[in-house]
Amino acid sequence: MSGKDRIDIFPSRMAQTIMKARLKGAQTGRNLLKKKADALSMRFRQILRKIIETKTLMGEVMREAAFSLAEAKFAAGDFSTTVIQNVNKAQVKVRAKKDNVAGVTLPVFEHYQEGGDSYELTGLARGGEQLAKLKRNYAKAVELLVELASLQTSFVTLDEAIKITNRRVNAIEHVIIPRIERTLSYIITELDEREREEFYRLKKIQEKKKQLKEKSEKEIARRLAELGPMAEPVNLLMEETDEDLLFE
Amino acid sequence: MSGCAELSFNVDNGYLEGLVRGFKAVILKRVDYINLAQCETLEDLKLHLQSTDYGNFLANENEDLTVSRIDDKMKEKLFTEFRCLRSHSVQPLSTFLDYITYSYMIDNVILLITGAVHQQPVSELLPRCHPLGNFEQMGAVSIAQNSTELYNAIMVDTPLAQFFQDSLSEMNLDEMNAEILRNKLYKSYLESFHKFCKENGGTTKEIVCPILEFEADRRAFIITVNSFETDLSQDERSQLYPTCGKLNPEELRMLASAEDHEHVKAVADHHSDYKLIFEGSGDSSSDRTLEGRFFEYEVKLNTLAFLNQFHFGLFYAYIKLKEQEIRNIVWIAECIAQRQRSKIDNYIPIF
Repeated sequence: MSGKDRIDIFPSRMAQTIMKARLKGAQTGRNLLKKKADALSMRFRQILRKIIETKTLMGEVMREAAFSLAEAKFAAGDFSTTVIQNVNKAQVKVRAKKDNVAGVTLPVFEHYQEGGDSYELTGLARGGEQLAKLKRNYAKAVELLVELASLQTSFVTLDEAIKITNRRVNAIEHVIIPRIERTLSYIITELDEREREEFYRLKKIQEKKKQLKEKSEKEIARRLAELGPMAEPVNLLMEETDEDLLFE
Repeated sequence: MSGCAELSFNVDNGYLEGLVRGFKAVILKRVDYINLAQCETLEDLKLHLQSTDYGNFLANENEDLTVSRIDDKMKEKLFTEFRCLRSHSVQPLSTFLDYITYSYMIDNVILLITGAVHQQPVSELLPRCHPLGNFEQMGAVSIAQNSTELYNAIMVDTPLAQFFQDSLSEMNLDEMNAEILRNKLYKSYLESFHKFCKENGGTTKEIVCPILEFEADRRAFIITVNSFETDLSQDERSQLYPTCGKLNPEELRMLASAEDHEHVKAVADHHSDYKLIFEGSGDSSSDRTLEGRFFEYEVKLNTLAFLNQFHFGLFYAYIKLKEQEIRNIVWIAECIAQRQRSKIDNYIPIF
């Protein structure tokens, strides 16, 4: 946790400009992050609603699929061993794709069918219709499951992303910006103080100069008085005639 | 001839016939099914079953009662009863009972072959085999690498050898789809069983042959209907039709070339009883599917077997009806366990 301190920087006008720019930058950053967090939350709520819908639907579909299994067993006898024996490659596969929401990549799963139906001939002699219905029901259930899986992973990823973004927004708002503001105010106060010091110094100097001047004038006056009246030196400029000039 | 049969039947088979009639008498009636369908939980179901002949078969279950446990226990009970019948029987009844087990053996063999193709250990597969279809060479099936080895080394000693002859001649084991192999074996099995009953003659032939013919036709219809969506070719399809049914070769050819439900219905209309089954099964909103109706008809034919005495059809009918009863109870139990009571009355009542 940072304390209530400011950035250590030499207070100068340049530093002030720099700090102002940084403050502006921090504020813009915070606004952008807030927008990102809002977009993520909106998507989050959408996904949540979809998850709830899909889960209730899933309950229904699984129930129906289990019941159609019972029906198929009633009509066709026990075909579970046949099915288990004939398993080799997966017929329904899942692909992962990436979806981008406000800069966050979310994984999305989609299922695709590969290869033919290797259980086509099961139940040829008994219960074929029920087996076909059973296959359809469970295929639907698998589709729903894949959808639910991708919704839930995006849910978890988005949750993480929202937490991080909100943390950053709060950090900027409550730590970075106040710190910069404090630095800025410190610089301003320092500068003001320096100006005042300058001003005071100037005033003092002026005073001192005046004092000095007074003192020196007094000195001169005193010395003048001591000397008595004295002829003034000839002022070339004041003299009208000059003795030394022979011809005028 | 029938006089002799009546006189000499009881010498060998009278005890067993009495036993089977006893078993038949305790098959659940409609009122039992109504009671079962009103249960709220599986515990209630267990309680109700205790008052029937099933008795305390679930009494030792400590952990949670699941539908599969109920299923297993019922199958065990049926297996015990069958073993008892089989061990007491003599020729020709024992051959007849063996024929009944061949269909389960076929299922087990297919299971083991597919397991061997996928290199799965035998010990995992053995418990999954149907107990009524156990035979000694089961463990050895997985060792065979291809079809000729399989046939020469193993199958030739089992009773299933005769069925493999038609199907395994050219194809490689892995190429052929397990389902096609299963259906081919079943076709040979049905035809062989039908021939056996015909040769046995007498009341057995009168009772059992119609049931087998119905089974053959039913398989033909259902294979046709179920293969509409798949890429099973018409030749392959026609190879799977058993020929011992009421449908003559011309009709079987029409079935093989059928493309949709209407064609199949047209073929069925040639016989009055099949016409009834297909009636109204075109729309999917009926409460019984096509297969359900076939099951119903089969149950009806099987119950007719008990009206006659001194024949082997009793045993076949008893096994099939018991299986249907197990399926019914499992269906009701699943509906209760999954709380979907809307279709709980879709079971097929027997008596």
